[in-house]
Amino acid sequence: MKRVVIPARHRSRNQAGKFSRRAIDLWSESTINTPHKRNPMEAQIRTLTPLELLGPLNDVERKYAPSTLFSAGPMEIPLPRPRVAIIGSRKASAKGLNTAAHIASVLSKRGVVVVSGLAEGIDTTAHETAMREGGRTIAVLGTPLNRVYPQKNSHLQQEIMTNHLVISQFPVGYPIQPKNFVMRNRTMALISNASIIVEAGETSGSLHQGWEALRLGRPLFIWKSIASDSSLKWPKEMVRFGAVVLTDPKHVLEVLPSSKEISQIVMQI
Amino acid sequence: MRITSLDFGSLLCYCPRPSSTAMQDAYQVMLAIKQDPFGGDPPILMSERIAKAVQENMSSLPFAYFFQPDTVLVPVPKSSLMLPDTLWVPQRIATALARRGVGSQVDSCLVRVKAVRKAASSRASDRPKPKEHFASLSVQRRISGPPPKEILLVDDMITRGSTLLGAANRLAEAFPGTRIRAFGAMTTISDRADFVALSKPLIGSIQYRPSTEDTIRRP
Repeated sequence: MKRVVIPARHRSRNQAGKFSRRAIDLWSESTINTPHKRNPMEAQIRTLTPLELLGPLNDVERKYAPSTLFSAGPMEIPLPRPRVAIIGSRKASAKGLNTAAHIASVLSKRGVVVVSGLAEGIDTTAHETAMREGGRTIAVLGTPLNRVYPQKNSHLQQEIMTNHLVISQFPVGYPIQPKNFVMRNRTMALISNASIIVEAGETSGSLHQGWEALRLGRPLFIWKSIASDSSLKWPKEMVRFGAVVLTDPKHVLEVLPSSKEISQIVMQI
Repeated sequence: MRITSLDFGSLLCYCPRPSSTAMQDAYQVMLAIKQDPFGGDPPILMSERIAKAVQENMSSLPFAYFFQPDTVLVPVPKSSLMLPDTLWVPQRIATALARRGVGSQVDSCLVRVKAVRKAASSRASDRPKPKEHFASLSVQRRISGPPPKEILLVDDMITRGSTLLGAANRLAEAFPGTRIRAFGAMTTISDRADFVALSKPLIGSIQYRPSTEDTIRRP
């Protein structure tokens, strides 16, 4: 990978005020390896409001909701439900990847739309398993829709755009910065009726999504093996704030809304 | 425990293991209450819908007298700790009620200072008991002026009532002499044979059982 100097307008600093290695890698991989060329896909991009995509949001949901979203793919709008995010480490263990595949398989077979972030590792496994099981999947990107990160998932992104749905809150041409991925994680929590963290370290971006899911009052599950990992502090902290340890993927189904429109039911009240 | 019997009223009910379409619909309403989404036509927030149903049916509700003009509504904290700006459904229901003039004001004085196990994801025998709830709750801000004559605890779900009884005792400690009762948007019906309909206003009591240190809810 080429090393580059990030232009000032694209710079973002981490908490220590320094440019992280990942920030530089992100910018260079996405920009240098995939120069922006207008392609036919861009013509298929739909511009949506959160209202159009998800229906009306309450004030807690609106707090970090993007004003505009961009989507590409044939999935119906507003989005079908239920939707569950399966997320976790990019450098996942073999056991973590197997777990992600198992969860995605169980949920896909029961009609749950699998949401993830197109990253390496857990995300990739979740998307691929959902499609292999004949289920449906949504990729929520931290880049504009005409960019790919990581580059190795170019084919996967294209397949999801062709047969499922890819969503981004960043318009074409928007500079790629690490903070975009934090914003994306919040948006993914908003889009998902529940989130499952399969495997994640103390600095994983998935934790941003976990905290946002808890703030939104959405169910957050932590897979049992990381919940019992004594070297990790975050699972215990998230459980204190309402996360649930997941021992069986089927338990997720108990907290999911049905695909049935609730508007008619609530009229009985 | 200062309070060993707590009167409660509730508007709706659901079965945790639904077996009919009506039960499944009630279960979906339970899930929706926990998220406070918009619904119906015209769409309004679920918390607003519950408050509207209470207000519009007040004359026929068996617990109507719980809502006196000077009743202070105190939302029940979640079993977990809460981040700033977290969705707090009981507080939203209480606010929606007060906005419609059902109760005088909302005072979010009751705070969870230590997380307890979620009742919904625990086995019945592992659910936190009233004393555990009592120990994990704190009254952090006194209601201004003289102590209220009436406090109505407001919660989203009532299962066995352990949370409510723990909360009532914590409030009774801070406000001796104040009458305390409880309102829940929805009660859990464990026996499917007892399920009649989603909308089933009822009044009952939560009793403390010293021998087992737990509670029994009637009905």
